[in-house]
Amino acid sequence: MPSELPYAADAEESLSYDELQVLRRQYEKEVAQSHVTVQTTFNFAWGLVKSPVKDDQVEGVKLLGELYRNEPARRRECLYYLALGHYKLGNYEQARRFNDLLLGKEPTNLQAQSLASLIERKVTQEGYIGMAIAGGAAALGTILLAAIIRRAHK
Amino acid sequence: MASTSTAAGSSKPSTPVNVKLLLIGNSSVGKSSLLLRFSDEQWLPEDESSATIGVDFRVHKMDVKGKKVKLSIWDTAGQERFRTITSSYYRGAQGIILVYDVSNRETFDALPRWFSELETYVSDAVVKIIVGNKVDKEFSRQVSFTEGQQFATRMNCLFIEASAKTAVGVRDAFQEVVTKILDTPELWQPVTQKPKSSSSSAGGQNQTMPGSVNLHDEGGAEEAGGGCMC
Ligand SMILES: Nc1nc2c(ncn2[C@@H]2O[C@H](COP(=O)(O)OP(=O)(O)OP(=O)(O)O)[C@@H](O)[C@H]2O)c(=O)[nH]1
Ligand SMILES: [Mg+2]
Repeated sequence: MPSELPYAADAEESLSYDELQVLRRQYEKEVAQSHVTVQTTFNFAWGLVKSPVKDDQVEGVKLLGELYRNEPARRRECLYYLALGHYKLGNYEQARRFNDLLLGKEPTNLQAQSLASLIERKVTQEGYIGMAIAGGAAALGTILLAAIIRRAHK
Repeated sequence: MASTSTAAGSSKPSTPVNVKLLLIGNSSVGKSSLLLRFSDEQWLPEDESSATIGVDFRVHKMDVKGKKVKLSIWDTAGQERFRTITSSYYRGAQGIILVYDVSNRETFDALPRWFSELETYVSDAVVKIIVGNKVDKEFSRQVSFTEGQQFATRMNCLFIEASAKTAVGVRDAFQEVVTKILDTPELWQPVTQKPKSSSSSAGGQNQTMPGSVNLHDEGGAEEAGGGCMC
């Protein structure tokens, strides 16, 4: 019997507050020492993306985006969690874009296939309204991001 | 969710027992392949499978000893870089499947490290099975059956050899773990600690909350942790 639903495990489960705090503290410690490792950043970003809190998800997606640009060796997992992060934020277009990039590299990747069907289901469920909102949220995300980056570079 | 409807009729189709299993072991030993074989009866050609990213998940229903069991199987990435994040998935697991590759001694020698991680995250009551995978590669075997079995005995856990490729031993591996879990009621029927089913919407089932007392009735046991996470 085939298993029933496609399921991207990380889509639902979130960390406890304490667990996320551990990842956050490690990250902040390394920021303070101005030597942030890729692993620490990835772990923290992963925890943020899994969080049920929107602000966390946005921050997680931002960190993953930076990793994606700077760490070619980690692109594969960044793509997956970028797709997942955008999916959770309701940015289905973006989610699909990143997930398709991963599927382009690994057409048989079962996790990406599973996430793809979750995305498609949401898109059909929420129809045009969903798309409109997603577009809005994506735009908002970009504005936010720009603001954050600008502040960081001051 | 009220437990009254199913509590009385013993012969009614009961709510399934929820069981959480975790697959662990070095990268490339075949964890995802075993899961795919078990849940979908499929096999991806060697060059088409891809290393797991973080963690993957599948739900599978089966009947064991006349009980309906709903398995949620968590397939973790063996790659070192995911180690810190995959460890957070141990919580609430009732069964652990430790996999090594019989044609790669290094993956067998790594088992003690996996056991020490287990000690940190799960209780002793949790059922463990060691699976020596890829027995179809008999010609390049590096770990004998006896050696695997002796190690398992020493670690006090079940043992089986299997092949995701030929399907040998795969069903048995899952079946054995689940059977042993069902034989250990405190794992799925925590009489004194189970949070009442009404709280199951909070997400993970099987999270026992210290301090929450539950006057548990026999029939309700069938729906231990009635929450569905998907
Ligand atoms: N010959 C043979 N090859 C196998 C068997 N099981 C898995 N493989 C191959 O071993 C490789 C790794 O398999 P995976 O299932 O991806 O390994 P994994 O343990 O999930 O690896 P990670 O996700 O990185 O932890 C793939 O090329 C599989 O085709 C088996 O029983 N026999
Ligand atoms: Mg895998």
